[in-house]
Amino acid sequence: MSSCLVDGVFNVEGLNLYYGDTHALKNVHLPIGKNQVTALIGPSGCGKSTFLRTLNRMNDLIPSCRVEGSICYRGENIYESHVDVFDLRRKVGMVFQKPNPFPMSIFDNIAYGPRCQGVKDKKVLQEIVKNALIDAALYDEVKDRLKENALSLSGGQQQRLCIARAIAMAPEVILMDEPTSALDPIATAKIEDLIIELKKEYTIVIVTHNMQQALRISDMTAFFLLGELLEFSETEQLFTHPKNPKTEAYVTGRFG
Amino acid sequence: MFDNLKKRKLSDGFMQALTYLSSTVSLVTLLLIFGFIISKGSSFLNLNLITENYESQGFVADLYAGYELCDCNASGEYLEDGFYSKKWGIALVDSTDLLGKNVVEVLYVHQDSPFQQLHDKGIGTDPIKMKTDYDIIRIAFESHATALSRHGAAQMIEYLNANDSIREIEFQTAGGGIKGSLITTLYLIGLTLLFALPIGVGAAIYLNEYAKPTKSTKIIRSLIETLTGVPSIIYGLMGLAIFVPLTVSLTNATGGNIISGAMTLAVILLPIIIRTTEESLKVVPDEYRQASLALGASKTQTTFQVVLPSAIPGIMTATLLAIGRIVGESAALVFAIGTAIKDDITLTGKSTSLAVHIWAMMTDEPANIELSATIAIIIVLITILLNIIIKIISTRYLKRKLGSAYE
Repeated sequence: MSSCLVDGVFNVEGLNLYYGDTHALKNVHLPIGKNQVTALIGPSGCGKSTFLRTLNRMNDLIPSCRVEGSICYRGENIYESHVDVFDLRRKVGMVFQKPNPFPMSIFDNIAYGPRCQGVKDKKVLQEIVKNALIDAALYDEVKDRLKENALSLSGGQQQRLCIARAIAMAPEVILMDEPTSALDPIATAKIEDLIIELKKEYTIVIVTHNMQQALRISDMTAFFLLGELLEFSETEQLFTHPKNPKTEAYVTGRFG
Repeated sequence: MFDNLKKRKLSDGFMQALTYLSSTVSLVTLLLIFGFIISKGSSFLNLNLITENYESQGFVADLYAGYELCDCNASGEYLEDGFYSKKWGIALVDSTDLLGKNVVEVLYVHQDSPFQQLHDKGIGTDPIKMKTDYDIIRIAFESHATALSRHGAAQMIEYLNANDSIREIEFQTAGGGIKGSLITTLYLIGLTLLFALPIGVGAAIYLNEYAKPTKSTKIIRSLIETLTGVPSIIYGLMGLAIFVPLTVSLTNATGGNIISGAMTLAVILLPIIIRTTEESLKVVPDEYRQASLALGASKTQTTFQVVLPSAIPGIMTATLLAIGRIVGESAALVFAIGTAIKDDITLTGKSTSLAVHIWAMMTDEPANIELSATIAIIIVLITILLNIIIKIISTRYLKRKLGSAYE
């Protein structure tokens, strides 16, 4: 077992990812700090979502996908063969681009994860669901209709439900893949407020197309282009004094 | 440049007319079929048919000593439809039984009639009661005259009125009912689904969720699709060659039986169930699987707790298709279960389904189209009834499972 050192939560070193013959991520080095919001920006197809999905090994689901290099988490490389990927995903939760609640009741949606881990006690489950909904700022809106189908909620509520569902697993990290791109501005604002609130307890990595959003909520920003990590620094630094001319061109809206 | 508009209008109109025509043809055909079976069969449709045994039970009896002739008055309606003997208190009518034979049927027995208590000349010791709907075959009188059913009810009443004593009377219960075949059909539906649903759904889950998309999976899938098109009589032969000997060696069955029939039907249904279930698994959004896996759920938990429940409506459709096929199948069952029409139904005994009952009726001499059409109506009714029941159950399940968003 090879151990590795981490300052923050993740330490990505020399990460290369291939989809068949396509080289999708090229030699990425990136540390991710604890209780910080790290934003991943870049034009479509630059590999930022792919990178996000390496952190909880969701790319394993794609048969042609091959990963080289290491991602250190809790002192070990998560791509070592002995790592329990289900345990990893429990600690590294994920929220998707399109709100994707299960076609079940609101309660069952949030209780699903704990139940899969073997939690059966109804009182415990009720407590978990309630706390997760409170943390996701959804409790007041749905407390009287926990038995209703989650699909009856609005898009913004569904997305907060998905965040609550991730929180219910008590993760250390929450990965968010463009969580507001399918939502209207008001729902987006609510999610952004929530992310800033969640930062106190969780480490958040967020992919976004919206540069204002990155500027508003993130502490660190990584700029990806064609599978390469071009620049990584504090958000304000990256937006105001980018070192790389391509970064500057992108953040000032000259391409992308 | 755009002078083709008229041409387009014409061709559009033609294509549209084609679709109207096709749907009309289908509708008219369906209506004709329904019209045919209802016009042919509705006259036989009554509750007796469903509750009555197929085999009629025959009796030979005489009168107990000391019987009294009565002077029973009956109301006029029995005299209008049939013939009434005041002395014997019995009304008879010429009729045809469920199998289409001419019979003399008992229309009415007065409560004081000597026929209320008959002495069984066979093995029975209890008095037999003459009942409405029984068919009288023969009455032999002490005077050596004998009234036969083929000479009609009028002559029988005439003979009765002319005599004061009876040496022997032979009669039988109506018979010709389909109770046995109906029960067999219901057994077949239950057993076949019990065999085919778990295996079919399981196989569909394997193919869609677990199997890697390799060449061999592709071959298996196309084989299954081919099986859908194999004529069912081939499956029947297979049932005769495999399932009948299997059930005979494992149970007390002596030949084709309900279990071997259900097994054969299950094999016929497997491709349909696998295909329909797989289609419904395919349309379950991948987002559900990803969401579940991202929560640390295992592949199996994801499949059985998220994917499968979402596919329930599709599995229900598969079940409905299956029931239609079970009720309608005849060719395979002729071999796999046999054509013996029976009344006492056991899982391992001889009996047959309603569809094969029709086949048996139509191969009889003469062919009984009316009764066959009546059974066809009953088959349609069973199918509709089961469809409604399953729809209600699945709607309830989905409402409970999905909450108010499901309509």
